[in-house]
Order: sequence, then structure tokens, then C-alpha cells
Amino acid sequence: MKGYFGEFGGQYVPETLLPALEELEEAMLQAFADDAFSAELQAYLSDYVGRPTPLTHALRLSAHYGCDVWLKREDLTHTGSHKINNAIGQILLARRMGKRRVIAETGAGQHGVATATVCALFGMECRVYMGSTDMARQRVNVERMRLLGAEVSPVESGGATLKEATSEAIRDWIANVDTTYYLIGSAIGPHPYPTLVRELQAVIGREAKAQFETLAGGLPDAVVACVGGGSNAIGIFSAFLDEASVELFGVEAYGEGNGRHGASINFGYPGVLHGTRSMLLQDKDGQVCETHSVAAGLDYPGVGPEHSHLAATKRASYRLVTDEQALAAFRLLGRLEGIVPALESAHAIAFLEQYSRQNSGRRVLVNLSGRGDKDVHTVFGGAA
Amino acid sequence: MIEERIRSTKRAVIPYVTAGLPDLDTTGDILDVLAAGGAAAIEIGIPFSDPVADGPVLQRASYLALKAGFRMCKLMERLGSWSARVSVPLVIMTYINPLMRKGLEDSLTALRDAGVQGVIIPDLPVDAGGIFDHCSRIGLDLVRLVAPTTKRARAREILSRCSGFVYAVSVKGVTGQRTSLPEGIDAQVASIRELTTLPVCVGFGVSRAGQVDELLGFADGVIVGSHLMQEVMSGTDPVERARDAFARLMNGSR
Ligand SMILES: Cc1ncc(COP(=O)(O)O)c(C=O)c1O
Repeated sequence: MKGYFGEFGGQYVPETLLPALEELEEAMLQAFADDAFSAELQAYLSDYVGRPTPLTHALRLSAHYGCDVWLKREDLTHTGSHKINNAIGQILLARRMGKRRVIAETGAGQHGVATATVCALFGMECRVYMGSTDMARQRVNVERMRLLGAEVSPVESGGATLKEATSEAIRDWIANVDTTYYLIGSAIGPHPYPTLVRELQAVIGREAKAQFETLAGGLPDAVVACVGGGSNAIGIFSAFLDEASVELFGVEAYGEGNGRHGASINFGYPGVLHGTRSMLLQDKDGQVCETHSVAAGLDYPGVGPEHSHLAATKRASYRLVTDEQALAAFRLLGRLEGIVPALESAHAIAFLEQYSRQNSGRRVLVNLSGRGDKDVHTVFGGAA
Repeated sequence: MIEERIRSTKRAVIPYVTAGLPDLDTTGDILDVLAAGGAAAIEIGIPFSDPVADGPVLQRASYLALKAGFRMCKLMERLGSWSARVSVPLVIMTYINPLMRKGLEDSLTALRDAGVQGVIIPDLPVDAGGIFDHCSRIGLDLVRLVAPTTKRARAREILSRCSGFVYAVSVKGVTGQRTSLPEGIDAQVASIRELTTLPVCVGFGVSRAGQVDELLGFADGVIVGSHLMQEVMSGTDPVERARDAFARLMNGSR
């Protein structure tokens, strides 16, 4: 069925939004079939975002773990995370659709910064919804967004994190659907968003696959990425889905363990949140749970529907990393490679500890989805 | 049943009440005063943690009900006695997830068994045909929403799989009180009427008797939610407040 990945996905939205989703799908299909769009996107990706990003052979980290680690350096993009790949693509789409006002939700603030950036670039009005808990722990990014001319609206309801920010963005969209483009930040939400975001993030996988072939030869044994909503993961996985020899690992935030985490695939049940049916952390009554992760970008009770499908079909495995393990990996990567990763990306690095125990000597491609400047005060200040 | 009831009620106002606020005993008492006050039907809202179609008032109502310990199983225990006792049709309004957790079809059947006559689910999947068929089979009305943005072909599709009444969403926006009615709502109702013989009720944003008067000039019924819940949440005597606020709506502006 249209917009489904197996039994996951779909469009579960208030009726008011349905025409907007149809319009978006049509615009997306036209844009993807249009060489002029591809050329324009390509130009911005290379001349503004700074693509291709390097593939770094992490020699000291490899020695530490006893396997061969390659890092796809999304931290080196303009604005410092993979979120910009999606934002630049969607803003070009918004322009084609004639929209002047853009809204977005953000958790870690990386998507908010990416959206504020592309809105500044194209002179569009920008409003970013952000939970007040996240505004406190990712203060630097709040200031960056404001500097770029975006209006940052605090969301106070519930746990005041990414879930609530997303709900508030949807409410704004319902009220302003004629004029407004909703620039969603991950591979979540109703169809066509999970597909749109995957296609725009697929550049990570395409580049990494070619670079790996050139620098290391052949294919990696495993590809690893952290999973919040799942956009950086689906972006890098997409190039390897058909390569049966390549194991795919998504890393979920296990937070403090024991019910305080964001591991939707490991501990959730199928459910509907924010317009899509996917694995969802919820109680026996279908009430969505509060989540926790030291990484604001992984602090979300749902996950993109395609990941639920990849888990159900066992094409990808989804593993757990705690706050503590991620914080250790955050420090480790700085010490060994001179790279300070985002706390989200540190989850992917930390997984190597588990992986290398059984897979010594294997070649692993890790998506380093972003840089950790935004997290330095969380790590040192205990603000999480 | 809902359909006839709306048609036969002279001033068809349908109040909405969030269940479990502040507790289910109070909800039961509120149902009684609303029925006594002449409600055409009553919508009972099952609170949900993430009500994306709701404005601040109903968000808060949901949040407070959940915080006060609302549980689905407790509601199911009460529904049977409420529907036996209250003389007006009860309609459940909720998001799809609380109904899906134990299987959508089973949940809908359980509601029917408890005497509920209809359901309203604002985030039904775009293709809700199978759900409608199940509801028809078990004799539960599936009230569908038609928005101001809904195109004609889509409206036709919705209305071919709708029963009880049509819920015409009056505004582009979430639920909540508004001071004036949106322009063009009469034309929206008229265009819905071209596609269905079901009663057409208007909701979202109604808070005054004058608005009810005006809407009933061309619609078959009016739904009032946020305004009532605002009253219910703003004092220590929620039942009296609900009764008085509803009486003001029923008495008309004159
Ligand atoms: C650097 C970084 N990595 C990963 C994520 C998680 O999002 P996703 O799972 O969509 O890649 C975020 C989200 O804010 C992020 O900022």
C-alpha cells in the first residue's frame, strides 16, 4: 500500500492536513524526476554544505577496539551534522511549492540550526519548536538559531522534549497549512516524509560506499549509525540494503536503562504517533511514554517506519547503548582521533565495544552524524 | 439512533467531555447534567498523551486526566452503566493509538458492547475503509470529519464511509475557543450536504450561544468542547459549572 514499509508507515493525520501531504508528495515526485532539481541540489550540497564529506580511517580507534573502523564525517558539513542534507533538499522543494514560511521541530537543535540556516539562505520566515528541557541542555544551538534569524518557540507540555516539539509543529501546520512548509527533521511523520527524508539523506550512503571502495576496497562488513527518528541511519543504510554481506546496526539510546530510555524498536510496540505507524514506546493503554537520553536527538519514543520494517524483516539489527557508554565514547573519540562527536553519534561509536568483542578484525563503517560542540557543556556541566 | 436523535432535537448541541477529569465519578455526574440539560448526544473524550489536533484547553484536559490516573479499563467498567443510565447517545472521541493498543477492531467492539453508539477518531488512516466496514458490521457509527481543506473527491470518499453524522471542522486549526465564526462555514456545510443525507454538525471553536444560534441556521447540530472543558477546569464545582455553561448555550442568545 502507498506510503507503507510492510505494516509500518501510512498517513494518520487530521483531515485538514491531507491535501497538504498530497501536494507535498506530488512536488517531491516531480522534483526527483527533474534533472534541474537534482543539479540545483547537487550544487548546494557541494558549494554550500561542503560535500562530499570525508571518510576517515580511524587508526587509533581501530587499534583500541581491535577492528577496522572507518568514519563517515557528517560532522564536517556546514552546521555540523547530517541534518543539513535534509534541510537543504526540503527548502528547495518548499521554494518550488511557493511557500514562504517554514516551521520545524528540533531536539538537539541540530535540525533547528540546519533549518534556520537554509531559511536565512533563501530569505524565508522560520519558526522552530523546541521543548524547554532541550532548550536548556542545547542552549548553544538556541542561540545559533536566533542569530540566524529564526524564531524559537519553547514548548512546555509533557516532558518538553522532541515529542512535544513535534506535536506543536504539527498544530502550527494545521492552522497555517496554506502558507507554511513543514520541514520535518527525521525519517518520521506521515507519508511522504519518511521517503523524502531518506532520499535526501541517501547521499551519505552513496558517498560512503564509493569512498570505502576506493580507500579500503570492497564493502564493509558492517555499517553502524545511531537511531533517533532514524534519518542518518536510513541515509547510510540505503546504499547497503541490497548488499546481503553487509550487516546493518542501528544504535538506540538506552539512557539510564530500566524504563528510562529511548529504545523504541527494542522495547516498543506498534503504534501511531505523529502521523505514522511504527514501533512506539507506550504503556498498556496506548499512552506514549516519556523517554530519556543524554542525547537530545535520540530522546524520542517513536522511530521512522522504515526502521521498524527493517527490524521486523531482520535486515537490520537495533542495539542498545547507555548514557554512560555514550559519554565514555564521546571522550574516547576526542582522545584517540581528535574528533569530538555529537552525543547522538557517540552512541554509534560506543556500539563498537560490543561489536568488536565478537568481530575482531572486521571492517566497520560508522556514520559520525554530527560534531559535539553543542554537547560540551552537558558533558562537563552535568546539565543533562 | 444518533442520526434520528440529532434530527429530532430542536436545538441540537453536542457537548464534549474529557473522561476522568478530575475523576470518573465526576465525569458520570457531568454526563447526567448534560443529558438533563437537553444534549442531543454527548462526546466522551478518551485522553491521549499526544493530542495533535487539540488546542491548549483540551491538551490540558487530557494531560490532567492522565495525571489524575485515567485508565482505559476503568472507563470500560463505567461505560456500560453510563449508557444504560444516560438517555442520550454516547459517542467516544479519541485518537487512534489508545484504541489500537489492544487491537482496533476488538476495542471498537468492546465500546459497542458497553452501549456506545458512535466513535470519532481524528487521526484515522487515510484509507479507513476497513475500519468503517467493521463499524457497520457491529452497529457502531463512525463519525467522520470533513475539513475546510478537504477537496470534493476526498469528501465524497469520506462521506460514503461515514455514519451517525458528519463532523464539519469549522476552521483550519486545532480545537479551541474562538471569538468569531470563520467566514464561509455556511457554504462549507452546503457543499457537504450536496454529498450526503446525514446530519451535518459543526465543531471547533464554538463557545457562545450566539454562535450556536447562527450555526443552527444552516447546520443540524453544533459541537462544543473546549469552552465546556475550560469551565470544568476552572473551579472546584465542575459539575455545576458544566451544567451552567451548557444551559447558557442551550438558552440561546436572546
Ligand atoms: C548529530 C545527530 N545525530 C543523530 C541525530 C538523531 O536523528 P536521526 O536518527 O534522525 O539521525 C540527531 C538529532 O538531532 C543529531 O543531531
